[in-house]
Amino acid sequence: MTAVLVKAMRDLRRRRLQAAVIFFTTLLAVGTATMALMLISQPGDPYKAAFEAQKGAHLQVGFDSRLDPSTLVGTASLIGATAYGGPYRATEIQFQSGSHKYVMPTYGRDNPNGDVEQLRISAGNWPASDNEIALTQSFANLYHISIGDRLKVVSVPQAPVLTVVAEVVDIDEVRADVGGQRAWVLSSAIGPLTVKATSFSMMDYRFASDPTSAQLQADMDTLRASLPPGSVTLSVSYLLIRSVFNVPDQVLTSVLTAFSLLALAATAAIVANLVTGIVISSYWEIGIMKAVGFTPLQVVGVFVLQVLIPAVAACAVGIPAGTILSQPLLANSSQALGLAYQATYSPALDLVALVAALLIVTIAALVPALRAGLLKPAVVIANAIAPRDQSGRWLRRLASRIGLPRPVVLGLGEAAARPLRAILTLVAIFVGVATLVVALGETRSFAAIYNYEGHIGKVDVAVTKSPALTDADATQLINSQSETTRVVAKATDNVTVPGIADPVSTDIFRGESSQLGYLMTAGRWFNGPGEVVAPRGLVDDAHLKVGDTFTGTYRGAALKLRIVGEVFDFITGPGGHELMLDWSTITPVVPDLSPSSYLVTLKPGSNVDAYVKRLAAAQPDLLGVQAANSGNQAFLATLAGILFAIALVIALIAVAGIFNTLLLNTRERVRDTATLKALGMSPRQVIVMVAASAGFLALVGGMAAVPTGLELYRSLFDLLSNLGGDDTPPALYDVFATWELIAIPLAGVVVAVAAALIPGRWAARTNVVEVLHAE
Amino acid sequence: MDGRTFFGAFRGGGGSNEMSELVRLTDVTKVYQGGITGALNGVTVTVEEGEFTAIMGPSGSGKSTMLNLVAGLDRPTSGTIAVGGTDIGGLGEAGLARFRRDRIGFIFQFFHLLPNLTALENVLIPAQLKGNVVPGRARELMDKLGITDVADRYPARLSGGQQQRVAVARALINHPTLLLADEPTGALDTRSGEQVMELLGNLHRDGQTILLVTHDAKLATRHATRVISVMDGKIVDDARLESAERNASDVIRVRSEETSR
Repeated sequence: MTAVLVKAMRDLRRRRLQAAVIFFTTLLAVGTATMALMLISQPGDPYKAAFEAQKGAHLQVGFDSRLDPSTLVGTASLIGATAYGGPYRATEIQFQSGSHKYVMPTYGRDNPNGDVEQLRISAGNWPASDNEIALTQSFANLYHISIGDRLKVVSVPQAPVLTVVAEVVDIDEVRADVGGQRAWVLSSAIGPLTVKATSFSMMDYRFASDPTSAQLQADMDTLRASLPPGSVTLSVSYLLIRSVFNVPDQVLTSVLTAFSLLALAATAAIVANLVTGIVISSYWEIGIMKAVGFTPLQVVGVFVLQVLIPAVAACAVGIPAGTILSQPLLANSSQALGLAYQATYSPALDLVALVAALLIVTIAALVPALRAGLLKPAVVIANAIAPRDQSGRWLRRLASRIGLPRPVVLGLGEAAARPLRAILTLVAIFVGVATLVVALGETRSFAAIYNYEGHIGKVDVAVTKSPALTDADATQLINSQSETTRVVAKATDNVTVPGIADPVSTDIFRGESSQLGYLMTAGRWFNGPGEVVAPRGLVDDAHLKVGDTFTGTYRGAALKLRIVGEVFDFITGPGGHELMLDWSTITPVVPDLSPSSYLVTLKPGSNVDAYVKRLAAAQPDLLGVQAANSGNQAFLATLAGILFAIALVIALIAVAGIFNTLLLNTRERVRDTATLKALGMSPRQVIVMVAASAGFLALVGGMAAVPTGLELYRSLFDLLSNLGGDDTPPALYDVFATWELIAIPLAGVVVAVAAALIPGRWAARTNVVEVLHAE
Repeated sequence: MDGRTFFGAFRGGGGSNEMSELVRLTDVTKVYQGGITGALNGVTVTVEEGEFTAIMGPSGSGKSTMLNLVAGLDRPTSGTIAVGGTDIGGLGEAGLARFRRDRIGFIFQFFHLLPNLTALENVLIPAQLKGNVVPGRARELMDKLGITDVADRYPARLSGGQQQRVAVARALINHPTLLLADEPTGALDTRSGEQVMELLGNLHRDGQTILLVTHDAKLATRHATRVISVMDGKIVDDARLESAERNASDVIRVRSEETSR
C-alpha cells in the first residue's frame, strides 16, 4: 500500500496541472451540489419552526361580517378545533405612503398574543390608540415604511391618518414580493376604516395535530352546512400558505438540483477523460510498474489515488464553501418569517455530499484505471504511449476536400484521433452549453412571465381606485383623458367551486378583457355571461374539463358557470386555484359591484408619464396611478443570479474539460509537433492546429447541446409551471431568436479557441531539438 | 528517364557546375544550459552549393548540434550562420519556420513520420504548410523512391526502409536548397541503409546540396565528397575527397586517431 501511495503522490507532483483540473472541477461541482442539498433538506425547516412558535392557525375562515360573533366562536367546537382566535373584524383599506398607494386587508385586534396566530412584534409596540397601525415586517421592509411613518387611509371619505407603531411577523404573511400582507389596528378603530363591500370577520382555528387537506375540506363543508348560504367568504389553510411560502425555495432547489447533477456529470466526464489520457501516455511506465511487481489492483490504485487525492482536497474546500454559500439562501426563508437566523450545518448532509462526490469521481477514474491494470507488461514496455487508430482520418479527408488550410485539417483530425477522449470532452462541452441554454431560457421565461402578468405591451397604465370613489366617477375621469383608448375594469372576489375547499380567488373583468393578452393553454377566452376560464390546476382539482358546467357560489348565490378555457397565470400560487370571468356573469347577483382597478391602454405614442401624473393629480387621494410594470422582480433577480452563477460554474468546468483534453493531446503529440516544426510549421500554424481541434469539439458539442438544452429548459420550466398549477403556453418558450441559437455554439467555439491558446502556445514553443533528441 | 535525370529535375539548388557558397558558419559556439564546455566551440566552416558533405564524429562531438543550427532548429550561443546569404540568426520563430519550409529538407534518424497520416499525406505536409497542393509531384517522388504502393498506408504498417524513403520524399517535396540528414541510416538494417545512402548519392549527383551527419565512416566516404570530422565541438579534419575510393582510408584513419585520443 505504501508503494501505491508513494507512487501516486510522486505522480501527482509530476502532474500538478492535471491535479489542478480535477481539484477545480470537483470543487465547483461539489460546492453546487452541497448548496442544492442544503436547500432541499432545509435543516430546521424555518416555516415549521415559526408555525409552532407562533401557534399558527391550521385554518383561517372569513365570514360575512353580519354574522353574530358568538355564532362564529361556536364554529370552533363545530369542527373540533382545540384553539381559536377571533372573530376579528376586517376590511380592505387603501392607504397612501409618500406618493404610493397600497391596498391591505386590515384586522381589528387588541393584542398580538393569544392561543392561535400570535404575532411577533419585531419593532415598535402594538397599537394603543385608534390612529395607530401595525404592519408586517416584510411589507415595511420592501416598501421602506418605518415606525413613525404616517399613512393616509384613502379608502374611506374621512381619510384618517394612521401612524405606524409596530412591525410584526405574521406566520401567514408569505413574502412581501409575493403578496399575502396584512395590517392591524385596535378593534375599536376598524369601524371607521371599514368599507362595506370588503368587510368580513375572520376566525383562526388550530387543531391538536396537523390536519390533512381532506380533513380541512371536510371542516369547510361542515362550516358551510351549518351556516346560512354565503356566510363563508374566504378561507386559507396552512397547507396553502406553507406551499406558497416554499415556492421560491422549490424553484431554487429544482434548478440547483438539476444544475448540480449536470456539474457532477461534466466533472465525471473530465475525470474519466483525464485518467484515460494519463493511462494512454504512461504505457511504458505501467509496464515498468508491473515489471517491478505492482499487481493489477495496485496499478489501478495508483491511478485512482491520483484522482482521489485532489478530489478529497476539493471536497474539503467545496463542501464547507457550499454550506457557507447556501446560508444566505437559507437565511432568506428565516428572515422572511422574522426569525433570527442561525447558521445551520448538517454533518450528515456534508457526508452525503462527500460520499456522492467521491463515489462519482472514483467510478469515473476506475474505468480507465482498470484498463491500465489489465495491460500486458511486455506490450506496454514496447510502446511509450498507447497506439492510436485512424479515427480522425475521415475528418481530415473531409476537411482537405473542403480546402481548409493544412494546420486546420491536422487539428480537426487530432480532435477525433482518440474517440473516447473526444466523446468525454464533448460531454463536458455539451453539459456546459446545455446549462447555459437552460439558464438563459429560464431567466428569460421568468422575465416574460413578469411582463405577461404586468400586461406589458397590452396595458399602459394601471389605476387602483379607493372604495371611497365611485366607479362612475373613476371611469369618467379615465375616459376623459384624450389618450385613453381602452379601459378594462377589474374586481377581485371569491367564488366557491364544488370540490375545492377554499373559496377561489376570482378576477371579474369589465370591458375588452380579451385584449389583455392572457395566454390560453386550452379552449378560449370567455365570451359572455356564465363563461369562465381557470388555470389547469383548478380545472383538474375540481374534476372538470373544458366545456363542463358547474355551479359556483358567490355571496351566497348560485352561479351557473361553464369552463371555456384554461388560462396561464403563474402568480396564482400553488394549485392554480383561480377563476376569471366577465362582469356580466356577476351583475345579476351583485348589481352594484365596483371595480378595484382599471387597466388602461393609451393611444400609440402617448406620453405615459405625463398621463400618469395628470390622472393622479386629478384624484390624488382616491386614485393610485402608475405606469404598467413588471412588478417586483427581486425573486427573478435572485433566480437569474443563481442560474447564471451555476451556468458560469458549469461553463468553467466545460472549459476546464477542453483545456484538459488539449493539454493531453499536445503533450501526447509533442513529438509530432516537433516534427511538424522541423518541417516548417510556423508557431502560428501550430496554434491554429491546436485551436482548430478545440474549436471543432466545441462546435459539435455546442450544436448537440442547444436542442437538448432547449428540451431541458422546457422540461424544467414545465415543472415550475406545474408548481403553480399551470400548463406552459408555447409563447413563453419562444424566448430565443434563431441567431442566438446559432450564436451560442459559436460563442462556445470562441471560448474553446481562447482556452486552446495556452496549450497552443506551449505546443508552438516545443523545443524541436530537445524533443526529437529524446528518442 | 533514368534516376539521375529524374532527381536532377526535382533537386533544389540548380545544376550549375559553378560552385558557390551555400552555408557559412562563422565562429559558432553553442553552450547548452548547464554545460561547462560548449557542444560547439568557435566553429567556422563553409559548405559549397552542390556539395555532399558528411559530418562525422563520436557521440557528443557536436555534429548533430551543427546540423540543428544550420536547420534553424536551434540558435547558436555566439557566432553567425548564413544559408544562401541569409543570416538565420536574424530570423524570428515564424521566419525560421518559413526558412525551413522553403529551403531545408530534413531527414531524421527515426524518420519522424506523423503516425496518423498516410505515407502520401506525410510527403505532402511541407507543401501543404506552404499552401501548395502538389499531389502529382508527391506521387512522382514516391514512384521514383519505390514507395508508390504504400502511399495510402500508415507509418506503423511500413518497414523502416520504407519509412525513411517516405521521409526522403517529404524532405524533397518543397525543392529544398539544402538537404540535411541526421544519421539517416541509424535506425535501419544494413541493406535498407545502403539503399537510402544510394538515394542520397543519386540526389547529389543531380546537384542537390547535402549535409549528412553520420558516425559510419564507410558509409559516408562511399557517397560524400567531403568529410568534416568533429571532436569536442571543434572541427579536427576537413577532407575533400577527390576520389571517394582513394581517400576513404585516410578519413577513416583520421577518425580513429581522433577517437583514440
